Amino acid sequence: MTVLILTGEEDVTADMVVVHLNASSVPVVRLDPADLTAGVALSGEYVHGSFRGHLSAGGRLVSVNGLRSVWVRRPGAPASRAAQPSAWLTQEAGQALYGMLRGSGARWMNHPDAAQRARHKPWQLRLAQRSGLPVPATLITTFPQAARAFAERFPDLVVKPVSGAHPQEPPRAVPTSRVAPDTDFGAVAYGPTLLQRRVAKRADIRLTVVGETMLAARKETPADADPGEVDVRFASSATPWLPAEVPPRTAEAVRAYLREAQLSYGAFDFAEDADGTWWFLECNQSGQFGFVEVETGQPIARTIAEWLARPCAPEEESVKGRRTVAP
Amino acid sequence: MQPFALNYARPAVETEAVTPYVYDSGLQLNVLFDGRIAASDQALLRELGTTTSTAGSKTHFDD
Repeated sequence: MTVLILTGEEDVTADMVVVHLNASSVPVVRLDPADLTAGVALSGEYVHGSFRGHLSAGGRLVSVNGLRSVWVRRPGAPASRAAQPSAWLTQEAGQALYGMLRGSGARWMNHPDAAQRARHKPWQLRLAQRSGLPVPATLITTFPQAARAFAERFPDLVVKPVSGAHPQEPPRAVPTSRVAPDTDFGAVAYGPTLLQRRVAKRADIRLTVVGETMLAARKETPADADPGEVDVRFASSATPWLPAEVPPRTAEAVRAYLREAQLSYGAFDFAEDADGTWWFLECNQSGQFGFVEVETGQPIARTIAEWLARPCAPEEESVKGRRTVAP
Repeated sequence: MQPFALNYARPAVETEAVTPYVYDSGLQLNVLFDGRIAASDQALLRELGTTTSTAGSKTHFDD
């Protein structure tokens, strides 16, 4: 049975996993939904109570019923590289591809429904609270007065995008940034604004979870770090990411989070304070992991490959009742 | 009329640098010009930062 990887050609991080799957002789089909109708093709037939579907890419043909897992890594918008792309064609292609795959019975990393829900930061914060993870005081508002009142209660604040998305015209990045105490919050009225109590961190933590396996990495904040530099993605610090132990209580809460979120992969960001507490910042359901593996040597790609390579359990197949062929 | 968070925006770092590998659809992997698998060259990956968590991706906000 085959592992299907949905991602772009330039995704070298996915390559790290493909290398391990190849070494284990696990069949792989890798395609970018963006190439549908221009290099990628699909067909599905629903006749006499059964389903037969096929995908082809790069000269490979795979039965949809012959998929053991689907890794939704960094797929492009369906059919966006077709000869005549359009929003309508993207909708059509997305419905056809993901609709067919949803009926396959394959295991997902991550299922599109779970992934879509998990992207909502306000939902993440609430789930983290319910799972027992410490969450810094946070306000999401369009009321300037609410922002002012929040800043009086928590004078040391950061602001970050609610969605994690970044404006593109022109391309800009919106890093997590400190907010000065005397800031004018009037512009809060023009867009939902996420304000959060700044955690005086002594380290950033990236916890990558693959199935039941947790791989944590820690990047210490230098003593002479610029206090205005709060977003590790933009920090100039040369301190390395190093492997770290996950506190048992945090591990338990993270397991609860992922169970509730129905995610098989999650990249958690925490800020570690002076007491050693890990404060939940976010869980990215498709977070990058290559840089952590390269720096720490942790076997994240191999762990993902092993998860993807696992066959569906027999009871899983019978419960789903969708598999008609045993390739 | 600009949303508050955009007061903290900065120009995205353009990463239009030419990468020293190309996708091989037969292998389903990116391959260096000397034929080696790009993902096997960890020093190169570190140098290029292509596997790094970055803000401001044009296509994905899953860092």
